[in-house]
Amino acid sequence: MDQPPTKPPPGYRKTSLEERALKFDSGAPVTGAVAIGDTVASTFGDGIVRFFDPSEDAPAEVHAHNGVVLCCAADRNHLLTGGDDGQFLRIAPDGTVNELANFGSKWVDCVAASNGLAACSSGRVAYIWTSDRSEAAELEHSSTVGGLAFDANGRRLAVAHYGGVTVWEQKKHRWKKSKLFWQGSHGAITFSPDGKFIVTAMQENALHGWRLRGKIDLAMTGYPAKAKSFAWVGETPYLATSGGYEAICWPFDGPQGPMERPPLCVAQHGENVATCVEAFPLLNAVFVGFQDGAVLVSEIEDSKDVMALRGPTGNEVTAIAINQPQSHLLVGDARGHLLWAPLKK
Amino acid sequence: MVSTEQVPVTVLTGFLGAGKTTLLNRILTEQHGHRYAVIVNEFGEEGIDNDLVVDADEEVFEMNNGCICCTVRGDLIRILSGLMKRADKLDAIIVETTGLADPAPVAQTFFVDDDVASRTKLDAIVTVADAVHLDAQLGEHHEAEEQIAFADVVLLNKTDLVDAARLDAVETRIRKINPYSKIIRTTHCEAELNSVLGLDAFNLDRVMEFEPDFLESDHAHEHDDDITSISFVSETPLDIEKFQKWFGKLLQTRGQDILRSKGILNFSNTNDRYVFQGVHMLMDASTMGAWPEGQPRNSRVVFIGRNLDSMGLKEGFESCKAA
Ligand SMILES: [Zn+2]
Ligand SMILES: [Zn+2]
Repeated sequence: MDQPPTKPPPGYRKTSLEERALKFDSGAPVTGAVAIGDTVASTFGDGIVRFFDPSEDAPAEVHAHNGVVLCCAADRNHLLTGGDDGQFLRIAPDGTVNELANFGSKWVDCVAASNGLAACSSGRVAYIWTSDRSEAAELEHSSTVGGLAFDANGRRLAVAHYGGVTVWEQKKHRWKKSKLFWQGSHGAITFSPDGKFIVTAMQENALHGWRLRGKIDLAMTGYPAKAKSFAWVGETPYLATSGGYEAICWPFDGPQGPMERPPLCVAQHGENVATCVEAFPLLNAVFVGFQDGAVLVSEIEDSKDVMALRGPTGNEVTAIAINQPQSHLLVGDARGHLLWAPLKK
Repeated sequence: MVSTEQVPVTVLTGFLGAGKTTLLNRILTEQHGHRYAVIVNEFGEEGIDNDLVVDADEEVFEMNNGCICCTVRGDLIRILSGLMKRADKLDAIIVETTGLADPAPVAQTFFVDDDVASRTKLDAIVTVADAVHLDAQLGEHHEAEEQIAFADVVLLNKTDLVDAARLDAVETRIRKINPYSKIIRTTHCEAELNSVLGLDAFNLDRVMEFEPDFLESDHAHEHDDDITSISFVSETPLDIEKFQKWFGKLLQTRGQDILRSKGILNFSNTNDRYVFQGVHMLMDASTMGAWPEGQPRNSRVVFIGRNLDSMGLKEGFESCKAA
């Protein structure tokens, strides 16, 4: 790339996490990261997938796609990836790659997994494979699929697209659909942990939610930028979201969820937009990555307790993931820089 | 904001059979080491010879701001953001639209979506027109007129199949709809690549470099066609507050009928040139440094659209003059 590397501001001192971190320059934008047991898998704009293991000095590298890895999800102890090369892959941390489907020149835009089920989307169609992986159910939609999410037990698949969400439910080995409408284009999607709410990130500066019982709308607006990243945090639980000048956290306790209640806002970082959030369940906290590359961690209910994990670098944070034992953190950015560090000294 | 280099995007429009695919294949075979991605629609006419062809859905949707003229292309936002994640940088992106597609939602996507605007920039709208059939198409499909109206470049193709008089008549018809586009006559889309790509036509700096027509005051126009254009010049400096009030209201209330607007303005309170560029009700404007020494310091605006006569444009523009 032609740009000079951005330097931290004068007088900037490294955080203790930065001092003990493994730093890595991959040369390709980091497109995603997800925990697979002890390890964290990260995906890149050159088709490579890397597994970071706390017990290894360097990441294990897998040349998976012939192009951008567009999406990824954990499938138990494997990684699912979709790419602009049309491939839908299942990758083991030891580097074994298994092609589940190949759509040729069509991109695989979204992937999801739950309870043995694996799903991907290409164009307007979502495909679901059951655990034997023999044949996929094809679920067609009126426009391109923007997001896929299973509920916790894998009984329902929510599909975001233009105009709302289609919820597919498995009944007697068939997938039956119901629809949730809201004008606009819907992308990343999630079920609340109790399965009672669905929330989408929109192509506008807003999220939209539905309480499934009664199909009640929850409009989450007022963001200065798009809210592309979200994470469920804590017992309440809160849905922490990016797109604001801090992490905007919506409470989903009680039958109404966040309806007519203000969100909690934590981890402010000047006029910088938060671009990526990830839950830190151990401390009921949220990791927040910003447009300028800084990463903060903040408890949700005691927002005074904010700590800087990484200082500004000039490159937008595009991925944050913590491994399942919650011992190691991975941060990736738009320029391909990675930081992998133990959270405790 | 973290600054990143913006990849130029050329929008290629034109009716079925006009020669869009011929032009695309020309561009791709003569690319001289440049890396281009091509976004095509699912029902392409014939094969395109490139490993970086992306299928699009052409889904157009309204923004939730309630304005019916603000539409964007959802698939474009998705595809462009995917292309921006590539490890190797693209030199240009070409978006091909179907013959019947309105180019406005494509252009508006670059004004409305922050992610798209920060990583890519609209380079130019290039319309391929069929010299044999354009006349009939203009009468039958309002989309054909819109494609001419939006164009920065009209590639008038298949000129070998019509005689000189007919060719002049077609060109006159194009000029009537859009006097500000550059018309290139070709036979098999044999245009120089640098007359089609890398034009930077949406760059505000380039708004100044209109065809000489732009300088003519009160451009004469006729009413045969649905879409017309009109331009004004003022030697008297304008009042910035009066202008913003009038223009803002105009775009808000009549933006649906105003396809494109462009202008360079001389305000009484500043030495800087003020330049704007609009698609429907969306507008991009900025100051552009001082007026060059020894050149006329006047305000010029142009509108291309429908029902322009009913908008009181001349009176509105006149009323912006500084007291
Ligand atoms: Zn509008
Ligand atoms: Zn008139």
